[in-house]
Amino acid sequence: MNRQQAHPGEARGVRRRDLLKAGLVAGVSLSTWPLHTPSVLWGAEVGQPKRGGILRVRGYDPVHFDHHQTINFKTNTTLSFAYSTLVRYKVGPDVEPGTFITEPHLAEGWEQPDDTTYIFHLRQGIKWHNKPPLNGRELVADDVKFTFDRFLREPGNADRHMLASVDRIEVVDRYTVKFVLKEPYVWLINVLANPRSMWIIAPEVVQQFGDLKKPESVIGTGPFLLDHYEPNVKTVFKRNPDYFLKGQPYIDGVEWLVLEDESTGLAMYRTGQIDAGPWHWWVVRQADLEALQKSHPNLVYKDVVDNVTSAVYMRTDQAPFHDVRVRRAISMAIDRQGLIDAVFLKGQPTPAIAPGLTAWSLPIDQLGEVARYYQYNPKEAKRLLAEAGYAKGFKTQLNFTGGYGRDVIDAVQLLEQYLKEVGIEVELKQQEYGAYMATTFAGKYEGIATGPISIAWEPDSVLYGMYEPGNLRNSSHVNDPKLLAMLQEQRRTKDIEARRRLIFDIQRYIAEQQYYVFTISITYTCSWQPYVKNYVPNPSFDYGGRVAALWLDR
Amino acid sequence: MRQYVLKRLCLVVPTLLLISIIVFSLNHMLPGDVVVLMFEEKAYAKDLDALRAKLGLDRPLYVQYFSWLGDVVQGNLGESLWTKRPVVEEMMRRLPVTFELGAMGIIVALCIALPVGVLSAIRQDTLKDYAARSAAIVGLSVPPFWKATLVIVLPSIWFGWAPPLQFTPFSENPWQHLSQFILPAIILGIAPGASLMRLTRALMLEVLRQDYIRTAWSKGMREPRVVLRHALKNAVIPVVTLLGLQIVQIANGTVILETIFGLPGVGRFLVDAMFQRDYTVVQGVILFTSSIIVVVNLLVDTTYAYLDPRIRYQ
Repeated sequence: MNRQQAHPGEARGVRRRDLLKAGLVAGVSLSTWPLHTPSVLWGAEVGQPKRGGILRVRGYDPVHFDHHQTINFKTNTTLSFAYSTLVRYKVGPDVEPGTFITEPHLAEGWEQPDDTTYIFHLRQGIKWHNKPPLNGRELVADDVKFTFDRFLREPGNADRHMLASVDRIEVVDRYTVKFVLKEPYVWLINVLANPRSMWIIAPEVVQQFGDLKKPESVIGTGPFLLDHYEPNVKTVFKRNPDYFLKGQPYIDGVEWLVLEDESTGLAMYRTGQIDAGPWHWWVVRQADLEALQKSHPNLVYKDVVDNVTSAVYMRTDQAPFHDVRVRRAISMAIDRQGLIDAVFLKGQPTPAIAPGLTAWSLPIDQLGEVARYYQYNPKEAKRLLAEAGYAKGFKTQLNFTGGYGRDVIDAVQLLEQYLKEVGIEVELKQQEYGAYMATTFAGKYEGIATGPISIAWEPDSVLYGMYEPGNLRNSSHVNDPKLLAMLQEQRRTKDIEARRRLIFDIQRYIAEQQYYVFTISITYTCSWQPYVKNYVPNPSFDYGGRVAALWLDR
Repeated sequence: MRQYVLKRLCLVVPTLLLISIIVFSLNHMLPGDVVVLMFEEKAYAKDLDALRAKLGLDRPLYVQYFSWLGDVVQGNLGESLWTKRPVVEEMMRRLPVTFELGAMGIIVALCIALPVGVLSAIRQDTLKDYAARSAAIVGLSVPPFWKATLVIVLPSIWFGWAPPLQFTPFSENPWQHLSQFILPAIILGIAPGASLMRLTRALMLEVLRQDYIRTAWSKGMREPRVVLRHALKNAVIPVVTLLGLQIVQIANGTVILETIFGLPGVGRFLVDAMFQRDYTVVQGVILFTSSIIVVVNLLVDTTYAYLDPRIRYQ
């Protein structure tokens, strides 16, 4: 049995601190970034923590509060303040942005007796928020089982596929819970750390409210209690005095503000009405950056390479896109650096895994022979089109949404120009964000489409979904048995280096096939007020975890 | 008078009926399907057909329309498809914000239109007149969202100041509550104020050339009395009509300004509902605001009698 650590109930004499350390080591060993040792502290200078103050930041208005019934990031980012996960991606000043290191959280450690069994040991004494019907009772293994049973049972849970390999969850004792898998799945710990859909809930709350859609039903074990929710205005959180990470959170509360207008948000940041950048991930748009840096040099600015890829995707199950030459021609028609220079200002061409996920992204110059499909070469693109029987080009429609902001709309217009240069005339079809997500993104469209396509905290959930036939995330309708076999193989590969090689091979194969023509991944600039200390940005939905670790020194 | 009001009231019914048909059909013609959106996001049911049936959207459109109309007649605008909360309740919660903004916008419009319009008329073809007319053209030409953006962005760059941009209830901080309405109300009032000012000026010029005004001057009356008492009261009737029409513009303006200034009013509620294809909310809100506009126009027409006793509504 591959026992990584012992449960305190079984191994007398083992101190809790040792256990936690062992858990941390175990987490790191199974993480997406096992070999990384950060050489710098990314956060603001780390001094003595200060208690008090209210953090006012750009937030979101959730569609509702039930994370088993939506994958909407607005719900999940909001819930990150109130809930906790069994394991989590580490937060703090020693985490380099773009790295996602799993660590114990509600579980103080785990063991893996065989390839299909994981046993998690919960920390003892963790209290639910002091609100009825829980009134601060202790978290127990039954809660964990209830959470994941509901996760797997709820028909509306679009993330159910993430735990498709789980056969059952068993309660071993009050503080021990066992996951039994149908088949080996080496990414389980990472998936459980996913700050989306994995928040642990209590059965009494679901029984009382029927579901978890109402704000009153937000009762977790996280660093903040939901104090009140004003639709379209803000969600207000207050400090959880019983939070299980001692000392945290340092601030008294958070005002999670709904700021949909770019100019309004920037003006609020300029005038100190909010404490961090006004755009998604608390960043400042590159177009506004220079002026802001000039007028506000005292603010903290940090560049972060994104873990999101953008792509042109297409109906590869239909002509002409079923022909690899056409797909390669589209790829070679696009001047990726031109897109960056003209629109996004900072960024880089991306392979299938965004460069922000540094441990798993294969740089384009290491793709080998197939790297040429990423080069801007309209002449070769025309030749490929002619070879495929489209010497005079063809007409199609290009679907996109304005919901990602004006930069994406500008990029679409440039893209239209690039495609026209090689003879592909596109009719632009703009959709409202909700309609786009429900139709085009889900594969219900004609022709081609473009937009941000994936966010990755580990490579598996991105790649598998995008290339598995029938998966809702398979926007390009890919059906390639060879690729699927490669993806399944990496899911079973325990050796991290062997798995990395497989992931790299997969990226090379994907570059060759161009089912999705990956374009660019941007670099964004996070910014926050200088009095916000011990804060480190990272593109994950766990805002609550990062906020719990920071303090205000006004 | 009573007969006229009754006739107008009778006209209100087919007007609202027509509005309800237009709102209902346009809403369902929008691209994007709420059932698909909800199934992705909420998954209330096992498949699209089940969800469609659950929401009552599997019935023929005319059946849906009459069912909705039946509820509306009983004062029930239905429930939000997304939140399951009554539309009336959600709207009433937000209505005070929109009314407050709209009322302040009207006050601003009148404060601009009447004094500037009168001044411009009595100082015709002077520098003051030219300045006022030029300002009115600018006020009309520049869209409110652009004015709002400038008002927020420029002071924040030049002076490091921005108006309060997060909603504070009156009970929490009355001064901050009012101060966050001042700028959007001014922006909201500028365009209708400019229209009304131009009309006021034109009508004042016409009235000031009438015989009875000449008589008033010849009797030795002082200027304020002639202008305000004799001329303005007669000139203002069409202005009141136009003000009624401007209410529509003000209602439209609140939609974008509420979003920019972070005010949780009905306009913002409507925008969100449209994005989510929340049919019942969109229908309810538009029908409600249309009803208000119809009623306001009715009130405007009946106000004529007070302002000009010669009008008898035959």
